[in-house]
Amino acid sequence: MEIKKTAIAGTLESSDIQLMISQADSGIAIDLQSDVKKVFGDQIEAVITTTLNDMGVTAAKVKAVDKGALDCVIKARTIAAVQRAAETTDKPAWEVL
Amino acid sequence: MPIEQAVQTLNLNDPAVFKEWQEFLESLGISNFQANELQQIDTTLGIYNERGSLIATGSVAGNVLKYVGVCNKFSTQGSHFNSIVSALMNLLAQRGIFHLFVFTKVKYATSFQHVGFHELARTDLGVILETGDTGVDDYVRRVAQAAADRHLTPASKVGAIVMNANPFTLGHRYLVEQAARENDLVYVFVVNDDVSLFTTAERLALVKAGTADLTNVVVVSGDQYMVSYVTFPAYFLPTQDDAIRYQTTLDARLFRDQIASALHIATRYLGSEPFSRTTGIYNQVLQTELPPAVAVKVIDRQTSGDNVITATQVRRALAADELATVRDWVPATTYQFMQENLTQLQARIQEGMNINGN
Repeated sequence: MEIKKTAIAGTLESSDIQLMISQADSGIAIDLQSDVKKVFGDQIEAVITTTLNDMGVTAAKVKAVDKGALDCVIKARTIAAVQRAAETTDKPAWEVL
Repeated sequence: MPIEQAVQTLNLNDPAVFKEWQEFLESLGISNFQANELQQIDTTLGIYNERGSLIATGSVAGNVLKYVGVCNKFSTQGSHFNSIVSALMNLLAQRGIFHLFVFTKVKYATSFQHVGFHELARTDLGVILETGDTGVDDYVRRVAQAAADRHLTPASKVGAIVMNANPFTLGHRYLVEQAARENDLVYVFVVNDDVSLFTTAERLALVKAGTADLTNVVVVSGDQYMVSYVTFPAYFLPTQDDAIRYQTTLDARLFRDQIASALHIATRYLGSEPFSRTTGIYNQVLQTELPPAVAVKVIDRQTSGDNVITATQVRRALAADELATVRDWVPATTYQFMQENLTQLQARIQEGMNINGN
């Protein structure tokens, strides 16, 4: 899936994550800000990367601000941001769930 | 859990709402409520507690967050702050704005960093931060690419000039020539904000046209990182000297630490400033802040007969319909543009475009 524009999903409130996805030439670059980055940073980035891969996104810039989100929340926010950024909100990616 | 109201839009045109909002911010140490600041606000959000008192607020002006204030007396540390910033970012996203800035007191800088903002410059009085889908690193990469496309990098001596060029005159040209002679590569950054008689696109095009023969000069937009409404609103608005000094210090440090270092700029060239007080203070501050990292060279203004060439005089000649009197002050490219667009330029002046500022 191709990222066509910048999109945002999620909030900065506790137990949530704010994800901003924008275009990139190639590869996935994640800029993660999290108070628990030392312990859970790799895990959060892995959930985002896996979800992007499952959706067929190969090139994207991701800015993520985590406020203690569970994996299922991270995954949901990633899907929402990608669908907005790829302009596919009318075709929900059920298979990724 | 206490019942709290959701984030809502505040109508500052309602005198009662405005009064409570202003008193709330004043209680948090925010004191600048000058009309020229308030006029720029597009939207203000707020959170009220269960007793109906304002406990958090934030505003946006274009892509700049302003008047962010939060009372943490009754909440988990930072939760209202995060709610407000989050709501402001979502609001801007709906408007298609994903790159934003904030000017804030030093004590709030960490709170913004905790929600993903990146610090650009700081003084004792304030910090400027940005966040979003692009940033100063992307900007610097684009500028460097513009030089690489012209095969001018790597360069051993790099100079830079920042100008509004409203419009590009032979005075500007003289400054660029001096810099071009003394360096391998010269970046000319054209101020990006569209608040001058000549539009940003026109100013940029005229600087490019007027320097096209100088092979080592690269003309680029200063984007929001140089003398912009974000870093330096006083350049465009009448402001007290101390505010000018503070804003120019931030602008100078942003240039020194984010732009010059990344682009290996060793010298910044300035035109001497006999007339504009704001630009005069700006030049002084640049000379204090930039060295030793970046040398500052002040070039005396070029004169034409007994007159010092200034873009202000050119604009006045346009207004007075005496374009021919400034023919010798501007490059042929600028003169031709003014002749061809005379009616439109004069119409802008008639519609109230200020020609006496910068």
